[in-house]
Amino acid sequence: MNWHLRLRQQPALRVDLRGLLPTALAALDAAGVAQQRVWHGNETLALGDLFDIKPAPAGDAPQLHFEGNLSRVDGLGWGLEAGLIVVEGSVGDHLGTQMRGGEIHVLGDAGDLAGCEMAGGRLGIAGSVGDFAASPLPGSMDGMRGGVLVVQGRAGARFADRMRRGTAVVHGDVGDFCASRLVAGTVALGGRCGVHPAYGMRRGSLVFAGVAPEAAPLTFVPTRHDLRVFWALLALELNGHGGVFAGLAQRQPQRFVGDLAAGGQGEWLMLGR
Amino acid sequence: MTERGLAVNGVAIDDSFAEAFPMKATRLVITAHTLAWARHAAVAATGFATSVIACGCEAGIERELDGHDTPDGRPGIAVLIFAMSGKELAKQVERRVGQCVLTCPTTAVYAGLQEGEAIPLGKNLRFFGDGWQIAKMLGGQRHWRIPVMDGEFVAQEMTRVVKGVGGGNLLLLATDTEAALAGAEAAVEAMRHVPGTIMPFPGGVVRSGSKVGSKYSALPASTNDAYCPSLATLVPHSALTPEIGCVLEIVIDGLSEADVAASMRAGLQAITERGAAAGVLRVGAGNYGGKLGPFHFHLHKLLGVAA
Repeated sequence: MNWHLRLRQQPALRVDLRGLLPTALAALDAAGVAQQRVWHGNETLALGDLFDIKPAPAGDAPQLHFEGNLSRVDGLGWGLEAGLIVVEGSVGDHLGTQMRGGEIHVLGDAGDLAGCEMAGGRLGIAGSVGDFAASPLPGSMDGMRGGVLVVQGRAGARFADRMRRGTAVVHGDVGDFCASRLVAGTVALGGRCGVHPAYGMRRGSLVFAGVAPEAAPLTFVPTRHDLRVFWALLALELNGHGGVFAGLAQRQPQRFVGDLAAGGQGEWLMLGR
Repeated sequence: MTERGLAVNGVAIDDSFAEAFPMKATRLVITAHTLAWARHAAVAATGFATSVIACGCEAGIERELDGHDTPDGRPGIAVLIFAMSGKELAKQVERRVGQCVLTCPTTAVYAGLQEGEAIPLGKNLRFFGDGWQIAKMLGGQRHWRIPVMDGEFVAQEMTRVVKGVGGGNLLLLATDTEAALAGAEAAVEAMRHVPGTIMPFPGGVVRSGSKVGSKYSALPASTNDAYCPSLATLVPHSALTPEIGCVLEIVIDGLSEADVAASMRAGLQAITERGAAAGVLRVGAGNYGGKLGPFHFHLHKLLGVAA
């Protein structure tokens, strides 16, 4: 059974919805769903106290549809392995943290730490995200480890910090220290970038498809070789994200390698220079 | 095995069958800056690969690909490689790609099959990069970028192995050398258009058809004396009639039983369309009595004639 959950009103405190996953709720009836306990501040509430719950049309995979301003609702889709979560509104922090499969689509904005340590699946945000998206949880060594994260709007600071695998795409601007300490994977930017992009980068690719920085830092060096084969493959991969990423194959990037200050062999692929 | 009861345009079709064996197979897609360079690499990678008896594998060019059919949008060549085991196939793929594709200017190599057991393609070749190699997941597949003197060599990490069929064959019995060659060339030309198949011998044709065993104990196979014109009047079990002066064989390996059957059918039709007047008087097939290989391609069935 798929479920539609409409938030009655903005909760007074932050709500933690981790564990509330489509596959877990698919086996329950309406009363069972309403009785699910969720954290509200330092106390638990029944899900039915916060949301109007009704069945949703069946789909190919278990689905949860949320409606309302969920900007005080954290942990949505934490550890998602399968199914679909759609949010018609904005959500709070830790959206899709440690998700390993399935899909999450948010039609509004997301808070901090979206897609933290996600290892699979697809996380799409039509609005903007806060800081530390696609990054590690505090104390962890690796950020995003797989899957696809797409932000249509802007991203905050430390986007894709310590990211290890997967593809993270931002159509708008990103904040400072984007792709810092990048281990591997692909980060593609459609807008402007804050200061110190790819600081301490080890490997991986940072694609400036829109507005490239004025100059690469001194710890990044240009390379001179025929890049067309790899670029054709990567451009095809990014082409499906549309916007500035469509038609990249017709443009040729300039490549810089670094961050040499960290012994890195990562690459900047800068277009439009 | 060689009874003749069917003739098409005067070409006798033996009531016989080709006996084929299961093999392990993979398809590689080799691309390059131009089709010519892709072909150079493909020809080299499929060289010395006529028979598993001594080459380790059987390989050949399947078809040419334009940019719409290749991962990187460049022209390419699809090659098929067959071996008797997955382990031997993995060894042959690595050696051949490492020595013949990695070395060829501007090339890149990708898996041409999406399903089956995975074996290394660029996985170990990456160490040629001496630490400068770069991995990248693209389309869910890991690729390696290895620095080389013309830029970088891109290779997909793994390729897929499927159960193939090796040893489909046609025997062309002709009046003389010229007629046999012309018939074989026409058949091979038609068979090259069948996807999923290769004909691993030079020009797709083999003159040294073999039988199992030999009078010399060290040899596992020896000349197919029953089809040697020079022995027609000497060996009691010769399959040749006096008007036959030259015999050529076309061997087919395919990704499936249906592919091999389609190829043999195309070859048969090409030969029979030319008619007996062209010099190929009879078509037969090589087998071992049906006791060794599980795939039997009956010539009459291929032509739609009930057994």
